[in-house]
Amino acid sequence: MKNWNSSTIGDERRMLPIPVVITVIVSSFLLSILAMGFTLQYITLSVPNLAYATIAFASTYISLTVALMGLSPYISAPFAFILGGLISLLLYRFMAYLRDRGATVVGLMISTLVFDLTIYGATNIYAGYIAYFFKTYTYSFSLSQFDFNFGVVPGILIVSTLASVTLVLIFHALLVKTKFGIAMRAVMENYSLASTQGIDTERVLSVAWFFVGGVAGISGSLYPLWFYMDPWVGTRTFISIFAGCVVGGLRSIYGSLLGGFVIGTSEILITYAFANVFGGWVWAYRAVTPMIIAVLALIMMPDGIAGYLSRARPR
Amino acid sequence: MKHVVEITLFLDIVVFFCVYAIVTLSLNFEQGYAGLFNLGLYFPVLAGALIVAYLPGRLAMMIFSIDSKLDFVADNAVVLNLLKARLASDPLTSIFLLIVTLVAVVGICSLLGYISAHPALKLSEDYLALFMLSLAESLRVIGMQTDWLAGGVMGITIVNPFWWLGSYAYYGSALLVVGSTVFVWFIYHRLCTSPLGRALKSVRENKLTAECVGKDVSALKKKVLAFSFALLGLGGALHALNTGAVVAEGYSRVDFSFWPWLMMIVGGTGNNLGVLVGTFSLVMMRRVMIYSKHYFTFLPFDVVWLEPILLAVMLGLTLVFKPSGILPEKPPKLDQYMQKVLRKRLYPKEQPSELLAS
Repeated sequence: MKNWNSSTIGDERRMLPIPVVITVIVSSFLLSILAMGFTLQYITLSVPNLAYATIAFASTYISLTVALMGLSPYISAPFAFILGGLISLLLYRFMAYLRDRGATVVGLMISTLVFDLTIYGATNIYAGYIAYFFKTYTYSFSLSQFDFNFGVVPGILIVSTLASVTLVLIFHALLVKTKFGIAMRAVMENYSLASTQGIDTERVLSVAWFFVGGVAGISGSLYPLWFYMDPWVGTRTFISIFAGCVVGGLRSIYGSLLGGFVIGTSEILITYAFANVFGGWVWAYRAVTPMIIAVLALIMMPDGIAGYLSRARPR
Repeated sequence: MKHVVEITLFLDIVVFFCVYAIVTLSLNFEQGYAGLFNLGLYFPVLAGALIVAYLPGRLAMMIFSIDSKLDFVADNAVVLNLLKARLASDPLTSIFLLIVTLVAVVGICSLLGYISAHPALKLSEDYLALFMLSLAESLRVIGMQTDWLAGGVMGITIVNPFWWLGSYAYYGSALLVVGSTVFVWFIYHRLCTSPLGRALKSVRENKLTAECVGKDVSALKKKVLAFSFALLGLGGALHALNTGAVVAEGYSRVDFSFWPWLMMIVGGTGNNLGVLVGTFSLVMMRRVMIYSKHYFTFLPFDVVWLEPILLAVMLGLTLVFKPSGILPEKPPKLDQYMQKVLRKRLYPKEQPSELLAS
């Protein structure tokens, strides 16, 4: 078996260790999916879903349970999809109920907190319960030892790349090639007008929220195969997701996809570069890097990558 | 002895209520009056606590020329013992340290509010909330990872400026918290009932109209953030002074952002009295939960995790059944106000008493 920790890409002077490269790739692909899902949910209701990251990372404990049962963590993907989708759908129904009763944007955002807190508490309770049941520590874990290797390449590298590309292609085809996608775009563009045209807006949005929640669940279930997880990871990763949306463009689905990729890459690479210059202690501040990038993006490029590209496009 | 325990318990609840009252009143000023959706309340609260952890200890070491080889964080217990011996017999220096610390907290937090307003106000209402939340979480990460600031994950014990009161030191800090809360309530009450309060409500209701009648909306919002950040920082500083230690991890989004939001919504957004009622009800409820925790030791998980779920359930029920809170915001008495303005214009020489009589 090749020793990943001592391997580098490029000549020795530049020193980009392979674990860092893998971290960049896995983080970028998964984060881009999460940023895209967050933006899509935002566009449909014009309300940011504060529970999004918590929903996504709740499924990490399904992966852990499956691994503790002696099975491959990848088996958890369909269950993670269903769990993420169902919670997301339930949240949408709750928000739709409040919206119909005249709740404001603030009220609706607070309603997402209801789910965020419930899932946060429930995840911690579940972590405590399986720790008690399996007699193991579950408040910080990684499942990398349960991953398979394809030659010398860790499985998660292939799976996260393939899963992300496939999900984006499916989503793009769904949005552009199907009647459902056209209906969804119409609803996102103008909810009232779409409903007067006979589109079942509630059904369309319910399916969209279920799908996006499910995809977030899959992303979350793949994270522990490379990263260390704990019940608070959703809170920390939320900063990266938000930064990805800001960098990509707040109301652009494909922009946020790019933004998530940029943040996922730069979060690791910038921290790595600073750690090389100033020392290893810089890694402790990795979670702050996306926020700094987001603030800089807001000051220099408030419309994000999507805004910049639309201006640069020849007319 | 039993009386001492009862008084301490009572003071504990009062102090807890006061700290949360400062935070929720500030939130109400931001959200209820100015319409600024801030979910990162714990950013200034934590900043205030971190300043209290950093500043007075170092300052006291300089004043008393404590051995420069000793580090306030690494040799925390030794340094505090040395400082306690000096400060216990020096009330003037203790009060000086307290005043300098509180002035620094208010100044720095106000500056933080003003600086963060610049990128934040470029965002819409909803994304402003996310920006503030991310900013607060970033500061928490910094606080948890920076050992020299406030002891990192382990936290540190801080200087108590009331050591000179001997066994009554806790009562001194409790009195400071209560006095500060009354002061903060008075300031907010005056501000909210002043023309500035009405200007802020006009911005909240319709930004465009407010701009059309000559209000500088952006400048107003920056001032609101700077001012409320200063008082939120004061809340964090008082909390730290009263607990006697600072652990950055303890200033979480649930404790110092989501709970205050629930308190405000339950009490009534836009009504300072309602906010106090909401704060009191939930502080009492949380205390009861904390004191009754030992009845649930049979559960196979830490019962503390039921708290966020209970918070969520209460939040959900409030949103569904009582979205405007226990004491909803009072609508402005426009007819009376207009009558008063018109009469002043028509009969400028009349005295207020004559106006009232007529």
